[in-house]
Amino acid sequence: MNRLCDSMEPKVMDDDMLKLAVGEQGPQEEAGQLAKQEGILFKDVLSLQLDFRNILRIDNLWQFENLRKLQLDNNIIEKIEGLENLTHLVWLDLSFNNIETIEGLDTLVNLEDLSLFNNRISKIDSLDALVKLQVLSLGNNQIDNMMNIVYLRRFQCLRTLSLSGNPISEAEDYKMFICAYLPDLVYLDFRRIDDHTKELAEAKHQYSIDELKHRENLMQVRLQDERARQEELEKHKTAFVEHLNGSFLFDSMYAEDSEGNKLSYLPGVSELLEAYKDKFVIICMNIFEYGLKQQEKRKIELDTFSECVHEAIQENQEQGKRKIAQFEEKHLSSLSAIREESELPNIEKMILECSADVSELFNELMMLEMQLVEQLEETINMFERNIVDMVGLFIENVQSLMAQCRDLENHHHEKLLEISISTLEKIVKGDLDEDLPDAPASLFVDKDTIVNAVGASHDIHLLKIDNREDELVTRINSWCTRLVDKIHKDEIMRNRKRVKEINQYIDHMQSELDNLEYSDILD
Amino acid sequence: MEVLREKVEEEEEAEREEAAKRAEWARTEKMMRPVEVRKEETTLTQEMLRDLEKKLSEIQIPISAELPAFTKDTIDISKLPVSYKTNTPKEEHLLQVADNFSRQYSHLCPDRVPLFLHPLNECEVPKFVSTTLRPTLMPYPELYNWDSCAQFVSDFLTMVPLPDPLKPPSHLYSSTTVLNYQKGNCFDFSTMLCSMLIGSGYDAYCVNGYGSLDLCHMDLTREVCPLTVKPKETVQKEEKVLPKKYTIRPPRDLCSRFEQEQEVKKQQEIRAQEKKQLREEEERLMEAEKAKPDALHGLRVHSWVLVLSGKREVPENFFIDAFTGHSYSTQDERFLGIESLWNHKNYWINMQDCWNCCKDLIFDLGDPVRWEYMLLGTDKSQLSLTEDDDSGINDEDDVENLGKEDEDKSFDMPHSWVEQIEISPEAFETRCPNGKKVIQYKRAKLEKWAPYLNSNGLVSRLTTYEDLECTNILEIKEWYQNREDMLELKHINKTTDLKIDYFKPGHPQALRVHSYKSMQPEMDRVIEFYETARVDGLIKREETARTMTEYYQGRPDFLSYRHANFRPRVKKLALSSAESNPRPIVKITEQFFRNPAKPAEEDVAERVFLLAEERIQLRYHCRDDHITASKREFLRRTEVDSKGNKIIMTPDMCISFEVEPMEHTKKLLYQYEAMMHLKREEKLSRHQVWESELEVLEILKLREEEEAAHTLTISIYDTKRNEKSKEYREAMERVMHEEHLRQVETQLDYLAPFLAQLPPGEKLTRWQAVRLKDECLSDFKQRLINKANLIQARFEKETQELQKKQQWYQENQVTLTPEDEDLYLSYCSQAMFRIRILEQRLNRHKELAPLKYLALEEKLYKDPRLGELQKIFA
Repeated sequence: MNRLCDSMEPKVMDDDMLKLAVGEQGPQEEAGQLAKQEGILFKDVLSLQLDFRNILRIDNLWQFENLRKLQLDNNIIEKIEGLENLTHLVWLDLSFNNIETIEGLDTLVNLEDLSLFNNRISKIDSLDALVKLQVLSLGNNQIDNMMNIVYLRRFQCLRTLSLSGNPISEAEDYKMFICAYLPDLVYLDFRRIDDHTKELAEAKHQYSIDELKHRENLMQVRLQDERARQEELEKHKTAFVEHLNGSFLFDSMYAEDSEGNKLSYLPGVSELLEAYKDKFVIICMNIFEYGLKQQEKRKIELDTFSECVHEAIQENQEQGKRKIAQFEEKHLSSLSAIREESELPNIEKMILECSADVSELFNELMMLEMQLVEQLEETINMFERNIVDMVGLFIENVQSLMAQCRDLENHHHEKLLEISISTLEKIVKGDLDEDLPDAPASLFVDKDTIVNAVGASHDIHLLKIDNREDELVTRINSWCTRLVDKIHKDEIMRNRKRVKEINQYIDHMQSELDNLEYSDILD
Repeated sequence: MEVLREKVEEEEEAEREEAAKRAEWARTEKMMRPVEVRKEETTLTQEMLRDLEKKLSEIQIPISAELPAFTKDTIDISKLPVSYKTNTPKEEHLLQVADNFSRQYSHLCPDRVPLFLHPLNECEVPKFVSTTLRPTLMPYPELYNWDSCAQFVSDFLTMVPLPDPLKPPSHLYSSTTVLNYQKGNCFDFSTMLCSMLIGSGYDAYCVNGYGSLDLCHMDLTREVCPLTVKPKETVQKEEKVLPKKYTIRPPRDLCSRFEQEQEVKKQQEIRAQEKKQLREEEERLMEAEKAKPDALHGLRVHSWVLVLSGKREVPENFFIDAFTGHSYSTQDERFLGIESLWNHKNYWINMQDCWNCCKDLIFDLGDPVRWEYMLLGTDKSQLSLTEDDDSGINDEDDVENLGKEDEDKSFDMPHSWVEQIEISPEAFETRCPNGKKVIQYKRAKLEKWAPYLNSNGLVSRLTTYEDLECTNILEIKEWYQNREDMLELKHINKTTDLKIDYFKPGHPQALRVHSYKSMQPEMDRVIEFYETARVDGLIKREETARTMTEYYQGRPDFLSYRHANFRPRVKKLALSSAESNPRPIVKITEQFFRNPAKPAEEDVAERVFLLAEERIQLRYHCRDDHITASKREFLRRTEVDSKGNKIIMTPDMCISFEVEPMEHTKKLLYQYEAMMHLKREEKLSRHQVWESELEVLEILKLREEEEAAHTLTISIYDTKRNEKSKEYREAMERVMHEEHLRQVETQLDYLAPFLAQLPPGEKLTRWQAVRLKDECLSDFKQRLINKANLIQARFEKETQELQKKQQWYQENQVTLTPEDEDLYLSYCSQAMFRIRILEQRLNRHKELAPLKYLALEEKLYKDPRLGELQKIFA
């Protein structure tokens, strides 16, 4: 290119370079001395400037986890890479480089300001992750297709865009086109777009925009529908009765049942099948509704439980806070008394008193905690019993309903068998009124065949029903165990955390006291 | 007249037919008089009689003193309309009916006092009481409800006792007269109030009955002032929340129940004893406060207003005493009995026994056994199914002679003879006679003034006393209105000397409440503010001699509280005011609300700047699931190490306790930056405290100025008081007037004096017209010349005088004093000015004169009266 990249040796972004930059750009004066004394961790750095350094490859930046602003302009970078860890980045400047494609920005979800000015980019894409993007600078590139603008419509927050110096900016319609397709834009090529221009642009491109909008809307609606359906299904799944609000189970029973399908061509079977299906669906619906109802009940139960537990914990925390506040008040006054006291024996006595107070506080806090643990344990056990009972009842009822399904199936099977045999007899006697289609006809060879076929169909059906039932029972049971486990585990975690907190506090108090003692003795 | 007599006879017949019912009357009647009265009468001893005499004479003295002010001699009846002075035939008829009714009544119930039916009015004409009621809906929305209405009547009129406390008055004046003189007895009061209440839709009645002494004399000294009664705190019973299914069990109670019970018992005993003592004390007090027994108890005639339930959403019947405007339940023991009551449509006599005051009365006016009505067929027949039936039968019987009877029976009340009640806006605003009223309550005195009457805006003052004799003032409450400084209420507690000013929104400093003992700065004081009106969100500032505490709300920096401790001022030799020598601050404590945008361990809850010790303490907010909060303490001593280098930051300069220790906070850099930040903050806070002190000074100064000026605001809609708008209006009127004058001038008839010389009514001949025109023009020319001469003469005179003066000056120039010279010079300049003006006028006149002349000629030429002229030229 036109720059000095050829004449100068490309530099590597190594540790020394980064350290130097961080040191230069870090705190100055007194704070700088401190910083030097301690060293600055890369992960504490919020802003980094690495311009005019002839960098060819972005590297070694993974430690800067909390970086907010990164300037890499005026280098000879050819590829955007190594920025994956910089998820907090808000400001990224990559202008005056040799980048050809936009890439490697998929993790920078917080990015608001992106500058790619004066590069070799010819297509705008791979920016989907940048939902917060407000400022985009793409001037002096090689973008030559207007349709790249349409891509920018997805950025809701985009207010400033610069595209001058691209082949498309030569087009006479350039400004109008952008104004029309990006109506929320405020600044284009560093100039404010006035309302008049916007109106004009809108009028000019109205038809295509309308069409676009229509398409977008359609898409939106479809997406929403899909999402709603998904949510509904999710809700059913949490109630463990998904796909039971219709003939789904029944259909799946016949989906893999070739014999059954063949047999349905027999005279009288289709009516039978119809009636059977109706009854079956009704039972399925019953299961479904019952499941939803039970789910509601379980939810209420769980809500009450968590609310009560939360209240109890809050109450306990309040008590603890009060205790600590009381203690601190007393402690502060006694500390200042100790400081003012000059007699050594007196000081020792007072310090002893203080430490007694501290241990007293420890006892009180621990007692509170133990009390809470006991109370919660009791409540949790009660809840566990209740929820297990509930689940048991649910399973029982569902099983009885499933049994009804099975009865229906058996009944149907018998009927079918009867019809089949009578048909077979008729065929054997040869006084069948009408010709059978080929498929079922192949079954009516002898009695064994037909009985086997009907039996196989029956078995498949039963298997399907059993499978559905098993699935439901396993899932609800596993849900139940998981829930109870989680509650227990949470409680244990909470307890541990609290005990740790108390210990830490008490330790701090004690060490403070010790320090005091120590320093007093020194004095 | 024939017909009339017939009607009366028929009515009498009808009455006779009801004789059986009347007999019943008579029986109940015997028990009518309140029992107490009879007892009093029978047991009167000689001494008591004398006593009573004495008392009566005492009572009558003020009456005789006051009455002359309001006798019929002083009433100007000449302006009253005719209906006041005569009776219409219908009214005459009504009077006859009433007389008849009264006759029968006295015949049947000889024991009862005669009815109060048609007293004389101010024109000495008998008028039936119901027609004296004139239902009027007042145009003031404030008077739409009964309570404000009653309060208005009680404020507006001055009470005059009845001439004879045992009898209803002989005269009952119309509300017109009563309003004019703003005086009246209880009947006047209740008539007016009843008129207004009926007008605004209430089911109200005037009552003639018996009341207690206090009631009849409007004596409130035994009543607690309603303003001093604290509104009973409505103790909302907290709904016992049902314990939820999973509520945890409370920890086991390890206290001895027996001991608790014993303790409770002991407590109860002590409490019972205290209560007993209290009660005894109270009883003693009550005894002391109780009125001496009244010898005429139960005989004193009084009139008040009864409001029945049903209309205007009145839930139950109640009395209103028109004197005080207070409402009472119908069970109240001050109302001792009812003789009769009336509204604008009918008149009822009470047939129930009043031995137990009014407590047992049933106000079902449709019940003829309890209430005897005078006119049939009014709408008031709530009960009486039987009566309905009767009339039904009657109707059927008298179908052929088309309800002549009906018409008779339903003889309805003639229209009121009284004019509509009119209260002018001024009178309505002034309210009390002369805009001032004093009410004496038990241990309290209430004074009321009309708005704008007092120059400081005082509208009412309530003085509370410690004792019954009203000598030791306990506290004073003063209410103000229309103050420019928005002062609303001033509360002075005489015992503690604490003054509390309450302000309405709109004070320039957003003051809400200011309580203080003295206006000196740096004393105990609490100032509350309307925090939404202030930029800094300050709610309250409390001051004592050594501290200042401020409470904030709704600030972007979440500051909620700032407390500053001061050390006494270092004494300086030079005199210095508080501004130049602020008190040194020892400690500043600031507290913050939780900032939801920050994590709890970085959000400061409290910071204490110990300025004297050079220490800064920080306490952070507590996380939701924690019970301990992080703390940090900075020692900001700048030390020098052994080599003489300044130590920037050492680990022991910051002691911190962290709930969850973090990596970056341990760094010295972090701590250094935090400390630098806090140092800046400390400076700011110190500055803020001083600024607050200054503000207090400013507020105090402002308050003093406002107290001294006490200007009142006047609404721009108040055209009478608003000087500015008045001026503007007057200016507008003046402009209008001038405009009018100018118009008149333009219409000035030049020809009139000349036309007057000619015989009127005749058409001018051509010759006459020409002559007239010439005369007019020559006259005008002469006038112009005269005017020019006049100006010329004046001009010459001025010039001459000036010349003379100049000459004189030339001669005496040497001997002149400087004053004389000044005088001369000023004269010269004035004279020159006058001369110049005259010159200008002359020139102008010369210019304009021919134009004016031409204009007149043109005008005369066009004048229709000189039409003859045109003919020639045409």
